[in-house]
Amino acid sequence: MAQLTIAIPKGRLEAETLELFAAARLRLPAHRDPRQLACLDESGETRFIFVKPSDVPVYVEHGIADCGVVGRDVLFESEADLLQPLSLDIGSCRIAVAAPADLPENGHAMLRVATKYPRIASRYFGERGQPVEIIQLSGSVELAPVLGLADCIVDLVETGRTLRENGLKVTEVIAESAAQLVVNRASYQLKANVIAELISALKGVVLLREVARASRP
Amino acid sequence: MSEPLSKIPSGFRYYSAREARARRFVETTSMNVFAGWSYEEIVTPTVDYYSLFEQGMGETEAQRSFRLVDVDGRLLAFRPDVTTSIARAAETLFAKRARPLRLCYSATVFRQHTQSSADWRRELTQIGCELLGKNSTAADMEVLAIATELLQRLQLNRTFVITLSDAEIFGGIVENLGLDAKARDELRRLVDIRALSELERFLNTYTSAEESAAFANLIQLSGRSEIFARARQVITNTRSRAALDRLESLWRIIESIGYAANFEIDLGDVARLDYYTGLTFKIYVGGLGVRLGSGGRYDHLTGKFGRAEPAVGFVVELDALAELLAKEEQPNLSNQPENLLVSFDIDGAGAVFEKAMKLRAANRQVRIDGEETSWPS
Repeated sequence: MAQLTIAIPKGRLEAETLELFAAARLRLPAHRDPRQLACLDESGETRFIFVKPSDVPVYVEHGIADCGVVGRDVLFESEADLLQPLSLDIGSCRIAVAAPADLPENGHAMLRVATKYPRIASRYFGERGQPVEIIQLSGSVELAPVLGLADCIVDLVETGRTLRENGLKVTEVIAESAAQLVVNRASYQLKANVIAELISALKGVVLLREVARASRP
Repeated sequence: MSEPLSKIPSGFRYYSAREARARRFVETTSMNVFAGWSYEEIVTPTVDYYSLFEQGMGETEAQRSFRLVDVDGRLLAFRPDVTTSIARAAETLFAKRARPLRLCYSATVFRQHTQSSADWRRELTQIGCELLGKNSTAADMEVLAIATELLQRLQLNRTFVITLSDAEIFGGIVENLGLDAKARDELRRLVDIRALSELERFLNTYTSAEESAAFANLIQLSGRSEIFARARQVITNTRSRAALDRLESLWRIIESIGYAANFEIDLGDVARLDYYTGLTFKIYVGGLGVRLGSGGRYDHLTGKFGRAEPAVGFVVELDALAELLAKEEQPNLSNQPENLLVSFDIDGAGAVFEKAMKLRAANRQVRIDGEETSWPS
């Protein structure tokens, strides 16, 4: 029986996460068939499960996984009750508002916002007193303003290339997003030693990388 | 089109057979433990004025309740907790009763809005006890001993841990740093989610880098007696120090009676600080992703309804406990009745109930069976 179960997000963060774990000399999943969604490491002590990024907080909050790696965008959107002991130095990007041109200053008009992040979007505009109509999409959000479905979008921006290709530009940055180590509240107490080891191993690598970047010209 | 009758509102459900037996077992066992410590059962109204809960729990918590309007237009709520109602009764109905008051309950509470996906239930059963009128380490120890006994009696095949802290440790730090309400909430949030690097950065604007790092390190992990010496190196204000001293004397008692294996000190526990005034604790059980229960000292609550008097208590979630038990091999939950069959076919129509009643008088379990063809119509 595995001592620890770690949820890894499939897709964008997957390779970087596994690379970070390797750098921290943590045991990695033995050769994995990409269709296999759960596997043990070589020692059999750690189980890795590979799930959709937005499901990572769900698995961890229910305690099915003791901890996981997840982007802050997903974390903000899920509002899950999780411990967030360590910000990992991977997957840096921004959650931003993007539109074909600067948004009009008159705060009274209803703004149509297309997004995969309805909670983040409604919280952000709500705090500013801007009335919005949230249009929830599950992909290709950049298309919405082009086709006239929305006035602007709230989305994750990495390089900004997709935005430019669709004639959009960032008008406001809502938050910086990076990957985060999240831990289940009960596991944090009940598996304190194993989790402390994991945190300190990852923290070592994160600090080294920060130092390396700071010393770069 | 109308909803099909098969549909149940989200957050509610049926319980039957083994699950229902597990729930009954948890409730009976717990109430017996409370009775064993001389706690009197109290049954509070299911529906009460919304303003009561708003006063007792704070606006945010109270707003999660199911609300309805009374005939005179006043706002009512299905109770979202039991403690508030008990505190009010203590200062009104039981104001003249001798202290300490020892009260216990097993009751359903309702929430219209759940906090997260793991907390999907909108009808929950809470089991708890309150000790009012005593402010001492002995009173704190009493409720911890009851919580421990309760968990032991349920014979869960799992480890459990009760983490301890004191709300005044954090309170003293906030006061010492001179934080305003907003900064206090931010500090509380960072400690609560154990965001250590952000916490260090936040504290750096108020105090030295070494102190910030030492504090972040201190709240990172729970531990045992060694925590106190480390905490005193970092925390020097008198208010927090007094709380640390209190917590340490409680810890000494726990150690001396040999309970330390199930307890830990967790100075990162800063939940519901405006409610708790001293000891706070949380109960975790292996195999359960969510907290099983929590408790602590709340010396300001009763003051909202009359005289302020010291109070300490805890609550455990019956639903979570019963769910765990139902999954285990639990001899207490098996339903292998003696099944003394009383049959129309064998015993004859006339004798069935006579035989059944006799067996029942001897407290045996019976089950009526067979074809009822010979039964007089």
